[in-house]
Amino acid sequence: MAIESLMKNNTKTIYTFIIVAFLLFENSAFATTINVCSSCEITSIKEAVLIAKKGDTILVKKGIFKETQINITKAVHIIGENMPILDGENKTESIFAVSTDNFTISGFKFINVGLSYTKEIAGVFISKSTYFKVTDNVFENVFYAFILQRTKYGLIKHNQIKGSAKSEVTSGNGIHLWKCSHMRIEQNTISGMRDGIYFEFVSNSHISNNRSMDNVRYGLHFMFSNHNEYHHNEFKNNGAGVAVMFSKFIKMHHNTFHFNWGTASYGLLLKEIYDAEINDNVFEQNTIGINIDGCNRINYKNNHFIRNGWALKFTGGCYANVFEFNNFMHNAFDLSYNSRLNDNKFEANYWSEYTGYDIDKNGIGDVPFRPVKLFSYIVNKTPEALVLLRSLFVDIINFSEKVSPVFTPDNLKDNKPLMKPVNPIN
Amino acid sequence: MKRNLLVLAISLLFMACTVKPSKINYGSDHCHFCDMTIVDKTHASQYVTKKGKPYMFDAIECMVNDLSKNNNEDNMAFILVSDYNKPGTLINAKEATFLISEKIKSPMGANLSAFNSKKIAEKYLQENGGKLFTWEQLKVKLSQ
Repeated sequence: MAIESLMKNNTKTIYTFIIVAFLLFENSAFATTINVCSSCEITSIKEAVLIAKKGDTILVKKGIFKETQINITKAVHIIGENMPILDGENKTESIFAVSTDNFTISGFKFINVGLSYTKEIAGVFISKSTYFKVTDNVFENVFYAFILQRTKYGLIKHNQIKGSAKSEVTSGNGIHLWKCSHMRIEQNTISGMRDGIYFEFVSNSHISNNRSMDNVRYGLHFMFSNHNEYHHNEFKNNGAGVAVMFSKFIKMHHNTFHFNWGTASYGLLLKEIYDAEINDNVFEQNTIGINIDGCNRINYKNNHFIRNGWALKFTGGCYANVFEFNNFMHNAFDLSYNSRLNDNKFEANYWSEYTGYDIDKNGIGDVPFRPVKLFSYIVNKTPEALVLLRSLFVDIINFSEKVSPVFTPDNLKDNKPLMKPVNPIN
Repeated sequence: MKRNLLVLAISLLFMACTVKPSKINYGSDHCHFCDMTIVDKTHASQYVTKKGKPYMFDAIECMVNDLSKNNNEDNMAFILVSDYNKPGTLINAKEATFLISEKIKSPMGANLSAFNSKKIAEKYLQENGGKLFTWEQLKVKLSQ
């Protein structure tokens, strides 16, 4: 009996071995590498794509290739060796137009992709594709770097995108996704485009470890995109840092939003966002840290608001938001509010402006802190009044409001203000 | 001489009071309705109140929604939309032909663009599919 089962097991192992060996053999036997260079047998990528079979690798050697509209409709891996240059010569055509599954594009420098107001033109245009990766490319002077439509399970990693941004209107977006899901955008550097990364109708996707800076409009822009997560990104010096609009269930954590200065600029714009989590982010030196417009059920935890004009600015009705364990340090205004009703909870935050005391030494201030200054209401109504910010008169009205609140919502206060910052960063 | 100056001053005064559309500063003006920065020359729009105050929008759908929300269309001196065929030019919305087509995306997801002439709109309709609307029809469509 025992021997019989052993035999059975053995045959199984042998079968498995044969199948595995066959698979390995098949791969090595049928997937070939096609070399492309100016002195090779094949001199253009288009030609190579034409003769390539499913699973083949097209290895492009160093050189300049003036090709556009390279249509890829079969699963091939196109690899650049020593950064070959793909020059679009400012034609109104995409360089790669891909519509297939299981492909790779890696190691190219894309330049001179022409602009058009009415056509969607990109260095890499991908539609209706799944399971692919586009990595380690450089884009310079391109209208759009990436346009992805109706794709799933793709990876866009380690690309460098640099727009000219001479004129704000004539530039496209860095990485533009429309109706995609399950995508990953990682470790890209994007500058000088219109929006660094743009999501419209995208779900279940992750954006992590990217740097998006000096873009004309937003570093990152969400529209109608639910169930996404972005973390460990840096947004610097953009027209405005990040805009998240009309989306639900977004997680935003460990991001840095800084130096987004301008008359109506902000680190983060939230417009009609429900059920989001905003944790462990740093908002430093923005005109407005977060502009919150019509957002409900959002938890803000462990964020740092440092040296902003306004740390938080509420416009429109916002309900059931919770602010806990955040640091508000050295902002001109910690909070600006537009209504006299408050349905949001502020508890156990650190406020650098807090002047209370802690007699029982439990780390929690014994008198509540009121983060809304009366003067912020005046500034909301008449922005020009801002010049009076540091005047004695303003100090007096702020103080009198603090002592007996008349204009600010009575329950808008932190009952447990912390005496020390939470995990301060330096 | 003095009189000339007076005439000049008065005429300048009147000039300043003319109700007219103002230039959209692409890349820095914000949409009055959705607060996004206006960058799209093919879809931006604007209305000017009878008192002469202009309001900019990043997309036609934003302006239509704003007008229907406030119900103040009669209070406007100008209602203007971008001509998709000539990016950057503003045309009278009431005389424009509108196209909603999946193939031509607009900033706020309505896939809506406007054309100066019906002929050109029909050309785009043939190429891209979709449906044409007049201003009145469009307002009904977007309020659904």
